Amino acid sequence: MENRKPRILVVDDEPQLTRVLLRSLTTKGYDVRIAGDGDFALQTFQDWPAELVITDLAMPNMSGLELCRRLRAISQVPIIVLSVRGEEKTKVEALDAGADDYVTKPFGMNELLARIRAALRRKPASEADSRILVAGDFRIDLESHTATQGDHELRLTPKEFELLAHLMRNAGKVLTHHSLLGAVWGGDYTEQTEYLRVFIGQLRKKIEPDPSKPRFILTEPWIGYRFNAE
Amino acid sequence: MIAQWIKPRWLSYGLAILGVVAITAILIPFRQRINSTTVGFAFLLVILFIAMAWGRKPALVASVLAMLSFNFFFLPPFHTFTIADPQNWVALTAFFITAIAVGQLSARAKRRAEEAEASRIEIKRLYEDLQNAFERASEAEALKRSERLKSALLDAVTHDIRTPLTSIKASATLLLEDREATEPVEKLAPDEQTAMLRVITHGADRLDRFVEGIVDLARIEAGDLTLYRNWGVVEDIIDAALAQAEPLTRRHRIRVSVENELPVIRVDARAVAEVIYTLIDNASKYSPPDTLVSIEAKRVSDDQVEIAVEDQGPGIPVRLREKVFERLYRGHNNGAAGELIGGIGMGLAIAKGIVEAHGGHIWIEDGAQGRGARIVFTVPVGDDDLNGNVPDVVGGDKARADG
Amino acid sequence: MKPTLLNRPWIGYAAALAGIALVTGTLKLFGEHINPTTVALAFLLIILFVATAWGSRPAIVASIVGIVFFNFFFLPPFRTFAIRDPHNWIAFVAFMITAITVGQLSGRVKRRAEEAEAAKAEVERLYYELQDSFERSSQAKALKQSERLKSALLDAVTHDLRTPLTSIKASATTLLDDLYSAERNNVEPRLELEDRKEMLRVIDEESDRLDRFVEGLTRLARIDAGEMHLHLHRTQIDEIITMALKRAEPRTQTHPMEVWIEDELPSIKVDEQAIAEVIYTLVDNAAKYSPAGSPIRIRARPGDNHFLLLSVEDHGPGLRPEVRDRVFEKFFRAMRDGDAGDRRTSGTGMGLAIARGIVEAHHGRIWIEDADEGRGAKFVVSLPISSDEDGKRQAA
Repeated sequence: MENRKPRILVVDDEPQLTRVLLRSLTTKGYDVRIAGDGDFALQTFQDWPAELVITDLAMPNMSGLELCRRLRAISQVPIIVLSVRGEEKTKVEALDAGADDYVTKPFGMNELLARIRAALRRKPASEADSRILVAGDFRIDLESHTATQGDHELRLTPKEFELLAHLMRNAGKVLTHHSLLGAVWGGDYTEQTEYLRVFIGQLRKKIEPDPSKPRFILTEPWIGYRFNAE
Repeated sequence: MIAQWIKPRWLSYGLAILGVVAITAILIPFRQRINSTTVGFAFLLVILFIAMAWGRKPALVASVLAMLSFNFFFLPPFHTFTIADPQNWVALTAFFITAIAVGQLSARAKRRAEEAEASRIEIKRLYEDLQNAFERASEAEALKRSERLKSALLDAVTHDIRTPLTSIKASATLLLEDREATEPVEKLAPDEQTAMLRVITHGADRLDRFVEGIVDLARIEAGDLTLYRNWGVVEDIIDAALAQAEPLTRRHRIRVSVENELPVIRVDARAVAEVIYTLIDNASKYSPPDTLVSIEAKRVSDDQVEIAVEDQGPGIPVRLREKVFERLYRGHNNGAAGELIGGIGMGLAIAKGIVEAHGGHIWIEDGAQGRGARIVFTVPVGDDDLNGNVPDVVGGDKARADG
Repeated sequence: MKPTLLNRPWIGYAAALAGIALVTGTLKLFGEHINPTTVALAFLLIILFVATAWGSRPAIVASIVGIVFFNFFFLPPFRTFAIRDPHNWIAFVAFMITAITVGQLSGRVKRRAEEAEAAKAEVERLYYELQDSFERSSQAKALKQSERLKSALLDAVTHDLRTPLTSIKASATTLLDDLYSAERNNVEPRLELEDRKEMLRVIDEESDRLDRFVEGLTRLARIDAGEMHLHLHRTQIDEIITMALKRAEPRTQTHPMEVWIEDELPSIKVDEQAIAEVIYTLVDNAAKYSPAGSPIRIRARPGDNHFLLLSVEDHGPGLRPEVRDRVFEKFFRAMRDGDAGDRRTSGTGMGLAIARGIVEAHHGRIWIEDADEGRGAKFVVSLPISSDEDGKRQAA
């Protein structure tokens, strides 16, 4: 059981914002360091391995996207990107480059805090190969090919099953259309977002109490989907 | 033969004369065996060549020389200039006519060829000039368009930002002073502080939505929306709008009904999602909790899809159904409409702008059974490009003119 | 343009026959002792004419007919195809050669002339086509370019508006959150007093920043609409420079300022605040784009023709001639960076546009030159010195 405070590295070129984040996150019990640009962030990360990196996307010199790539090359640390609304393309690129989640500016602190908690809770990748997946009330047994929600068994088609399994493995993480399609249907289908929507719709009908207001499979508009287990 | 074009003139005359002399020299030894006719032909041929190579004037010179030579060396009595013989005249005439006619022809051909070459070089230069001119023109055009955008942007921004900003500033300074205050009596109670902070937060939210709005407005006014059209699936767009509107619809029931086999639509997907978002926002704001907000989509003709958002609130009175779409700048249009329209601000105006930029219409109807409001809009099914603008294709003559 | 009669080949062939026949008939009238040379030359003229009028094929016909008639009618024995005199043989062959050569060559010349004409017409047609396609592509290009410019512009403006908002919201929600949780759990708020003050300060400062940005935009809008309201007073430039430098104080700490004001400068009639702002903008600009420690030189001196020249010079990298005009465009910085595909400097760039608006509203000019020594840029402002008759020059 770790009683060290979780380390968060915040990367943003806006000093006003980082002032606020430093104080706010520290008060919440995190160990926070600030980096004003990508280079300094990487330097800091070398000697001070953070458990979470929060980075702005639009920075001069090294962009957030570039930082994501470089970080991913050396670590699986969860990454949350901060971006302005409307920059969907960059967000998708960042997510595909390895970021786990995004928060749109301007954001309320509670929103950011919730994403931070979710990101820190995420299980490390090494557990991804296990035969049993659990997320919230959901349980999947990959060997017997069964899926349950609470105590009630889910009747899923093969593709729905795979989709749910992949979502659960990446619970809390934002998955782009591209990566979802690639993971479940393979490389030739990565542009068929309609296809994906149809399957998501079917899955929602089976697991959501109110499919028109999904709780578990959340739409990230223009970007993809996210599985929320709680 | 064409290569001779570039030789200097005196050289051509020289060579012409040389030609005649050469022929003379060659034929003199044979003059006993061949008759003068043959010599005449030979001279004629030489003159012909000279005319073709160097034109009329050297050929004329050669003609005269040829005639003299013909007379002197080849017409008996040899080595005399007997002019009397009419053959001379015939010969001379023939030489002259040949010289002139062929000289003319070849001069003309030569000139035409030179002109064509000059034209070609000219064209090449003009081509480059043209390229540059159009570079500059397109830059100028681009700048002109962006000028329009800038103006539209400025216009929008200067108005409505200040109000929320003022509140933010006032609250913040009040709270700061409060922090500095030492007398407990003067300090703000926690709930007062909370209230101020909420003012700040809401103010920031309003500003944020405002920024979103002005960008859209600016783009609409600059005639920009037509550039981003692409195939969009109605369900995806509705899905995105709903996801964005999630916080607003927590206390309402939502129903989505999309007709089967709806065609893809040719729209700026984000913009249309924004329209739907605005309508959902509107619907949830003006209808009581736990009521239904429904979103429908169906095809109404070969080239149009209709999307509607309906609520179960008080509805919108008929006399206001046009006005709600007007952009409210300085808060003029108040009175009875004020309380209803107050919160809408620019949303519906933008929605209208977006819909119309796609060539569609937006209007308000009564909800089911006469209750509530139902806002409907149409968007084009695109097979043909209804408004003539195809992104990424050089089809400039079909491009939509500004605005 | 040639008459169509000449363009019909069958007329050429007919003319060939007719010509030769006619000459034959005419010359026969002169009796049987007409010199063959004369005949031959006459025939050759016909062949030449046919060749130049109708080209080489009718000319060949003329040649052949000519050769035949020459032998038959004019070479003894007459009316036969035989040739008795060996001189005449040679003559005959020579005539053949000549006839065919003349015909061919002239025909070829004609053809070449025609080809050159056609080539010229072709080239002209190509030119018009090029013009056309350029027009079309430049329209598309303009669209694309303006699309890029717009994205960059919008991105920059929204960024500048949203950045302060982000800090404001983050601060406010932190404070709110703190208060709520304290309330819920019936404890004291966890945030330190100092932290809370800091958050509020951020809100305060960022609202100011937002305000300044909006102010800038408003000014620009007014300049755009030609609605600047200037309050003109007669004043000395050194007072205005002092005002501007005071406002630019933070910059004076990182860059030494050299101020050179010539003696006995005439007074100018200007809106002091506005001109001070221009100077401030230029100084701020100079400081931003030159290394810390490098001096910034401000000079005021008389120019020619009743103008006062004011310059602000830095030792930064300078400005390329191509951009010197464009930096004064509003949002230029945003668009230029949009071009490069990323944002190198933050901010949208209104200062210089506003500065130019102000200067031009005073009937002055602003431009950029190379620094006097070494690297750097020199921004120069010229302001008219009012004529003695006060009130003659009214700024808008």
